[in-house]
Amino acid sequence: MSRFARRIRLFVELSRVSFRRQLAYRTANLAGLATNTFFGLLRAAVMVALYGARQEVVGMSVRDAITYTGITQAVIAYLSVFGWTELMDTVYTGDISSDLLKPMDYFTFWMARDLGRALASMLMRGLTVMLIYALVFDITVPVGAWQWAALLASLLMGWLVSFSWRFLVNLAAFWTPNALGISRLIFATSWLMSGFMMPLRFFPDWFVGICYLTPFPAMINTVVEVYVGVLDAQGVITALAAQAMWAAGLIWVSQVVLRAGIRKLVIQGG
Amino acid sequence: MAPIIKVENLHKHFKVARHRRGFLGAFRGLVSREYETVRAVDGISFEIGRGELVGYIGPNGAGKSTTIKILAGLLVPTGGTVIVNGRVPWRERKSHVATIGAVFGQRTTLWWDLPVIESLELLQYVYDVPPERFRRNLAEFREMLELDQFLETPVRSLSLGQRMRADLCAAMLHDPMLLFLDEPTIGLDVVAKERIRQFIRRINRERGTTIILTTHDLSDVEKLCERVMIIDHGRLLFDGELSELRNRFGGEREMVVYFDQEYDEVAVDGAEVVSRNGKRVTYRFDGHEITASELIGRISARHRIRDLSVREADIEDLVRKIYEGRLLEAPDAG
Repeated sequence: MSRFARRIRLFVELSRVSFRRQLAYRTANLAGLATNTFFGLLRAAVMVALYGARQEVVGMSVRDAITYTGITQAVIAYLSVFGWTELMDTVYTGDISSDLLKPMDYFTFWMARDLGRALASMLMRGLTVMLIYALVFDITVPVGAWQWAALLASLLMGWLVSFSWRFLVNLAAFWTPNALGISRLIFATSWLMSGFMMPLRFFPDWFVGICYLTPFPAMINTVVEVYVGVLDAQGVITALAAQAMWAAGLIWVSQVVLRAGIRKLVIQGG
Repeated sequence: MAPIIKVENLHKHFKVARHRRGFLGAFRGLVSREYETVRAVDGISFEIGRGELVGYIGPNGAGKSTTIKILAGLLVPTGGTVIVNGRVPWRERKSHVATIGAVFGQRTTLWWDLPVIESLELLQYVYDVPPERFRRNLAEFREMLELDQFLETPVRSLSLGQRMRADLCAAMLHDPMLLFLDEPTIGLDVVAKERIRQFIRRINRERGTTIILTTHDLSDVEKLCERVMIIDHGRLLFDGELSELRNRFGGEREMVVYFDQEYDEVAVDGAEVVSRNGKRVTYRFDGHEITASELIGRISARHRIRDLSVREADIEDLVRKIYEGRLLEAPDAG
């Protein structure tokens, strides 16, 4: 096996282990699923009330808006929307030493693990939420191979942007013992600016402009727009390209910050 | 042959925020922080040859773990040079850690919620061990460490001794030339300790693995190591053979004697009364000058002894003795 093939093998093995580990938390998965569905239905009801007699708001029909609440609820676990501090925790407990003792690239190591976690979450919680939605409502479904392919690409890119962003935020723990507070603030900001609370189309242009200067819309809003099909072919390609650029940029920045952080690292405990 | 580890004038300083007391102090702490520099490692130099089994000991907070973490490539030192196996550990972390193994007794390197065997198999890919070699090593360590009874158990359900054995196996599967063991026997019972010591001895002899063992259990060192380094307050107090250490400082022991009644005069030749509490008297004596049984003879010739116990010196005693010895030998040093 070539060197590259062996690295891929390690990546796959790490993801697989993490995938199975996530599936093993059955009660937590069920509880999460119930919560996501309940709040999803509630949000859908609010949407219907807000639309009232209107059939369409900035290109989104009531059906699209209901579907939107479903998608955002479905990606909560997949993208760890409510926060992710696993890496930070290893810094504060000192368990990071076990990870650094292994001859692996630190970023890729976490990426493999997060991919496994994300895929398991998508399976257990994301797809299930959408299925329940499909049973309860008349939801929008992507049409044709092209839109499905675009959706898959967008979901994967959304995860990559989200992961590298979360990785970067967690690196704050290398410098400060209070990174948890910082991360809470940042995650809360992302709810609004990613289009998680409301589709970004509903906001005034100047605010949307500001949002698009951050990586947040690339995590959720792009996925939603590709899914409900409000973008034309050109728009889809531009949106995917923007996601890819954010992913590349964040990965690059996190490498630089990681290198500086390792020098600062204080490993806790004996 | 070139040494496998070469350390020169190593320093690691940590900045620790000083907390002011009281409400006002806490408020001022928000505005301006004062930092205190802690010199965890304060100018250490040594070399270690291939195949050595070295005991690295010292009291809590002496700087043992910090040194090990620097050697393992986990921490970047404040100053000094370190070459391990031709590499600067923290500069080439990935290639460096591929050639070392480490067990930090307080925590596991295994995946917490996976069965032991799955964790171990994952390491095959992590360290890129050829399948044939991996199978051979795993079979050998399973037998040596008696892992079979708990291979399918998740790591979190293992007893401390079992976990330590699994961790030792994990640290050796990729044939590291250098093994760091940080408190591998901490909290274990006598039988478990002995099993782990046997394993350490065997891999050092049979595989020629260089081993650095940190511990604050002196009996680990006495049973395993020929060479001992003692560190305190970030400085090396002693680096030499165990026998020399024992001759110079290790002879001191204490005997606690419970008498039948309170005697006015309990002093005997060859021992010093350290403390006295009613019928209980503690003597300190030098094992090179007088044996325990001679001392018992001398005491019982004059008084009736009800019970007694003899205590060996521990690391704290040893460190104190070294300081005392230094003061006597070189009053103007330092």
